Amino acid sequence: MSRNLNQERIVLAITILLFAFFALTLPGFLTVQNVLTLLRSVSVLGILGVGMAIVVVGRGIDLAIVAIMAVSVALTLDQSAHGVPLGLATLMGFGFAVGCGVVSGLLIAYAEVPAIFATLAMAAIIAGFGQSRLLSLSEIYVTPASEPLGWIGTGRVLGVPSPVLILAAVALAGFVLLRATKLGRFIYAIGDNPRAAHVTGVPVRPIIVLQFALSAITAFLAGLITATSVSSMNTRIVDSTLIYDIILVVVIGGIGLSGGKGGIRNVIVGTLLIGVLQNGMTILDTPYDEQSIIKSVILLFAIVADSIVNPRDEQTAQQGDI
Amino acid sequence: MPEGAGPGLRSGQAEPASPARVGLAERLTEQRYRLFPDHVVGEILAKGWVDNATPFAFLLIVLALFGSLIPDFFSGASLVASARQLGEFGCVVIGQTIVLVGGGIDLSVGSSFALGNIVALMCINLAGLPAWAAFGCTLAASGAVGLLNGVLVGYLRLRAFLTTLVTLIIVRAVVDVLLLHEAVPISMGNSNSAVWDWLGDATVAGVPFSLIVWLVLIVGGHIILSRTRPGWHVMAVGGSRRSAHNAGISVRRTVCATYVIAGLLTGLSAFLFAARLGSTGSETGSGLELSVLTAAILGGNSLGGGRGSMAKALMGSITVLAITNGVVRLGLHAGAGPLVLGLFLLLAIVVDVRWLKNRHKILSKVYISPAYQRLAPPASAAADAGTPYAMNDKLADVEVLGLDRVDGPEDVIFDRNDHMYTGSRHGDIHRFLAPDYTRHEVFAHIGGFPLGMAFDRDDNLLVCVGGMGLYRVRPDRVVEKVTDETNRSRLSINDDTRLRLADDLDIAPDGKIYFSEATTRYEMNTWPVDALEARGNGRLICYDPARGSTRTILRGLRFPNGICLAHDGQSFLFAQTWACSISRYWIAGPKAGTTELVIANLPGHPDNINRASDGTYWLALVGMRSPVVDLSLRMPGFRRRMARRVAADEWLYPNINIGCVVKIDDGGQVLDALWDRHGRNHPMITSMREHRGYLYLGGILNNRVGRYRIPGADPDWTGIGSYWGARA
Amino acid sequence: MRLRHFLTALAAFGLTLAAASAQTADQYKGKTVAFVPVALGYDLEDGWSAILKHQADKLGYTYEVRNPNLNSDVGAQAISQLITEKPTVLVIQNPDVQVYSRLIKKAEKAGIHVIQINMKSVAPSDYFVGADYVQLGQQAADMMVQKCGAGSGKSGKIAIVQGVLTAAASVLQMQGIDAVLSKHPDIKVVSNQAADWDSSKARAIMQTVVQQNPDLCGVVGFWDSMDVGTGSAIREAGKAAQVFLVTSGGGSDTACTNIDNGTFGAELSYDVPRQGSDMNKDILAAMTAGPAPDADKVTQITPLKVLSKETIGTTGCWTLKQLQAAAG
Repeated sequence: MSRNLNQERIVLAITILLFAFFALTLPGFLTVQNVLTLLRSVSVLGILGVGMAIVVVGRGIDLAIVAIMAVSVALTLDQSAHGVPLGLATLMGFGFAVGCGVVSGLLIAYAEVPAIFATLAMAAIIAGFGQSRLLSLSEIYVTPASEPLGWIGTGRVLGVPSPVLILAAVALAGFVLLRATKLGRFIYAIGDNPRAAHVTGVPVRPIIVLQFALSAITAFLAGLITATSVSSMNTRIVDSTLIYDIILVVVIGGIGLSGGKGGIRNVIVGTLLIGVLQNGMTILDTPYDEQSIIKSVILLFAIVADSIVNPRDEQTAQQGDI
Repeated sequence: MPEGAGPGLRSGQAEPASPARVGLAERLTEQRYRLFPDHVVGEILAKGWVDNATPFAFLLIVLALFGSLIPDFFSGASLVASARQLGEFGCVVIGQTIVLVGGGIDLSVGSSFALGNIVALMCINLAGLPAWAAFGCTLAASGAVGLLNGVLVGYLRLRAFLTTLVTLIIVRAVVDVLLLHEAVPISMGNSNSAVWDWLGDATVAGVPFSLIVWLVLIVGGHIILSRTRPGWHVMAVGGSRRSAHNAGISVRRTVCATYVIAGLLTGLSAFLFAARLGSTGSETGSGLELSVLTAAILGGNSLGGGRGSMAKALMGSITVLAITNGVVRLGLHAGAGPLVLGLFLLLAIVVDVRWLKNRHKILSKVYISPAYQRLAPPASAAADAGTPYAMNDKLADVEVLGLDRVDGPEDVIFDRNDHMYTGSRHGDIHRFLAPDYTRHEVFAHIGGFPLGMAFDRDDNLLVCVGGMGLYRVRPDRVVEKVTDETNRSRLSINDDTRLRLADDLDIAPDGKIYFSEATTRYEMNTWPVDALEARGNGRLICYDPARGSTRTILRGLRFPNGICLAHDGQSFLFAQTWACSISRYWIAGPKAGTTELVIANLPGHPDNINRASDGTYWLALVGMRSPVVDLSLRMPGFRRRMARRVAADEWLYPNINIGCVVKIDDGGQVLDALWDRHGRNHPMITSMREHRGYLYLGGILNNRVGRYRIPGADPDWTGIGSYWGARA
Repeated sequence: MRLRHFLTALAAFGLTLAAASAQTADQYKGKTVAFVPVALGYDLEDGWSAILKHQADKLGYTYEVRNPNLNSDVGAQAISQLITEKPTVLVIQNPDVQVYSRLIKKAEKAGIHVIQINMKSVAPSDYFVGADYVQLGQQAADMMVQKCGAGSGKSGKIAIVQGVLTAAASVLQMQGIDAVLSKHPDIKVVSNQAADWDSSKARAIMQTVVQQNPDLCGVVGFWDSMDVGTGSAIREAGKAAQVFLVTSGGGSDTACTNIDNGTFGAELSYDVPRQGSDMNKDILAAMTAGPAPDADKVTQITPLKVLSKETIGTTGCWTLKQLQAAAG
């Protein structure tokens, strides 16, 4: 039994149960409009989750993903507001994001700094550099000059909000990358055992850099959606708990932080759980702050359930695996 | 002296009449190696506190940087203002450090801090409780968060990172709900507690109260972590959870306790914070987990456990706070603070990672530090040389005892009942039963490698155990520690109190035990490397059973090895293996306390010395000198390059495979030599013991004990009898 | 036209300066003004800072700014530090009513003149410059009554998005709102939450509120920079026409842009250039007042201006660039 009940299935089961419960008890929950709203509300979280998952599967973690998202998109908006053509400004933001990802990757792969610290420091550096040198204000607004990007956050195709479509596309791309390409196999190999992968001939270091570049690209994309739907990019989002939410979405679905396990499916499951919870509680008229209590308690139950069903063995547990 | 040194020198330097010419360059080399203590570098690098070098350097750089950029950064008033905040911040860092050392991580401290803060203010401003009650409530609130983490991570064994992440969010949300209802009443309320008002602005002798609390906690925490059982349990669990579990430590309880402690310390900090500012807001404590983690890591505590200390917490806290406050005081733009902090964190970690990775590499390269030594060419041992050492084949037909039953009988000894005792590499003392020595048993299990042995007046077997010290095995097989430490030398960097390699012992008539420790720089498994250094790393130590004290009496000896009480009971003869010499240490008579050379310049490396029945002494030469090694001893630079660049297996070692037994008299005159010329039975000899007309041979790398019939020896003479007389 | 408004403000400056230059410029040499805002990087605080710096450069005294970046602990630390450095004048924007109160008393005791800007502490100081938030709350509530009240034919449901709950701006504004709404039972507050001056949080709250109350009629937001998030959540839900958002702020170009594009229904502006020049006057007064701070408390209430689609054409907004250019 325990072999069949892994964390992913527990979370999936909880999600389905909650969905069924809300659908039966809450009027207006099971409507096309509401389900789209639900998906839309978690699309940014899902996209960032996919980027994070690519890194986590390779036994890394990217704590700089929110900083990259905020500063790169704010840079784009700021530059276009100051007269730089929108295309060029977008390219600048994109380049900045990828550059930050590559620097993180280089630090981790070549300077051998543990990912958690390299990206923690990079997050502070990127946010600090952005706020003090690159940007004119802490919060950059969407100006008419950058309005053409608006459809990314607010557009609809056949009634489906564009963020949901982008999430689907990103998830599909992530799935193909991890499951169907050589690169994806290599990422799993690195996550399982970096030394073994290195000895086998996998170009470990370049692939680590590439992973962080990829997560930076998803960050830029998620940032564009956020900025265009809120009409501004607030760089203080760096100080919020968003980064923790992203890690939760990834880990709650069953991707191990020790690498080599799980895939995009797990991210989707985790994202759906958060989405269903949020949406249901909103309809139940739960205040914002109490929502986060209930949400996190349910998350706690999910990981406790996993540890009871799949207890860690004192003899085989990996040392230093926190 | 004329009797002692004269003949010795004659026997040693008889052949090379003309002393080798020594050039100016070599004299300079000699002085350079005499004056400059190379070995200190390696010993410093081997110290535990060197681990703190990088964080300490960062602390100094940060202080110097901001001190030069900001006028009056170090002024008294300015320091007091920062110190108050430092005390609060530091308490949380201590908690985080303890959790990190135990192999976990606590991200919930920021939320727990906010909870403690609001609880304290609710108690004071709304409920009007006295300060001590509010303090209790605050500790209870934050401690409860710690307990929740502890139960989840410790007992349910959830992953620390993920779990504390979730509790961070839960507790933050609880605080937000509390804020929504209570924040405005709190900000309008007032305390009527005098203690509370005092706490907020308190100084004791000009030092802020919170700083004092913090420093007390640092000192207490250091003692607990490094000197007590609970602290060791935490270190053990963090160092290797599995080993700690298998060693019987309650891993779950220990892990749980670390989180509870972190929670309580966070509560304490929140209480002091609340007393100082008296306000609560949603930003209280947010991001604290990151700056606390940064401080703990900048100080040099390892994520993943096992490496951490209060000193590291101290340095990390000061560094982080100096940076954040310094940046604010420089009036830089928003974001400059995180930018500078991030850069420092990155730099510190890059340096630390390099340091951790390369420290043992550097250490292994620089620890071996050869010194200069010049030995005159020795007397020849060639069969036709005509010297007393001339090779013969007297040992060719030795009888072999206990073949393959013993592994490494360094020394052999007999009791009053003629039973034979030897040590073995596996930590046992074997007893071969008289009269034919075919039956054997494990007499006692000690654990280390038993080396030299001696019986005392009461038939206790005293044993020098490599890696453990001096032990006593009573006739009823009970093993007791006699001593395993001596007084520390004042200027040594290596802590030389512990005995690393007690080698051989003998007992003075008054019961004092004199024993040699071969080297204080190497362990039992690396002792041959000491030969590369040719420095006086060894010492002679005396244990006084009457006072129970252990004192070092001679230092700077070159691998002191065998030691034997002279027949008249006035002095000890002792051998220095790498110096190829025998010396005498007087314990009685007019020369008591002085040392003199008996034989210099032996042709081989001397090992054990024991009494012979005719009033002379047996001396084992464990290996013979070679001209190549002799030459290399005069070239320390060459040996150092060798140790750095060549694989250890290829190093040039002194020969310790072919040796002999020689017989010497009290004056140092060499009388005879016994060889196994073809090396069939006993090429390597580390000790020999005469007993009832036979000579028994031991060797540290051998799998047997040899027995040689001594022509014309007294068939009733026993060693134990010669020391303590016939049995009463 | 916005420029004309700005020039008026500059003229006010000029008057002050002319008055000041009548005295010897040397009088200000070696004196220091230090500013501790809640955070830099917003139009409001950056605007004040630019004006303060402008006068400092003109008259030759030193101007310093310490940035706590929304962290009141860091702010308290900065103020403690400044007390030991003894600037002549300390300008403080309180993040909440309690946190700096002890330090303000301590600073005044140490002989430093303290100006509190816009957000008061429970500890009064020599000078206060800022809006009357109770009145501001009343005006905002009046607008709600007018737009959503009994006669309007709307649902009467409104939401309130506060800043940091314990900030003076939130506390006093709520008093004003409560005073008005207690007389109007037809207005129903369906949500009253705190977004902590953070636009992302405001957006998250408002998304929920709009979904829970499809017939929402009006929203009172407590700060324009934050309410950009509030407004975008309303727009996202397609309710921009139905929900009237009234906010308050310094009246920078952000406000005008958002009123133009319909995100804000109206903004109650406390005119940053005016507040800046008021502070500058207080600074000069404090510097010439001699060593001991006056026992009299000087309070300068900034009159409110209503910015809406109808009025921005005439009153206009200021931009940070203009202020910085003037200062530069």
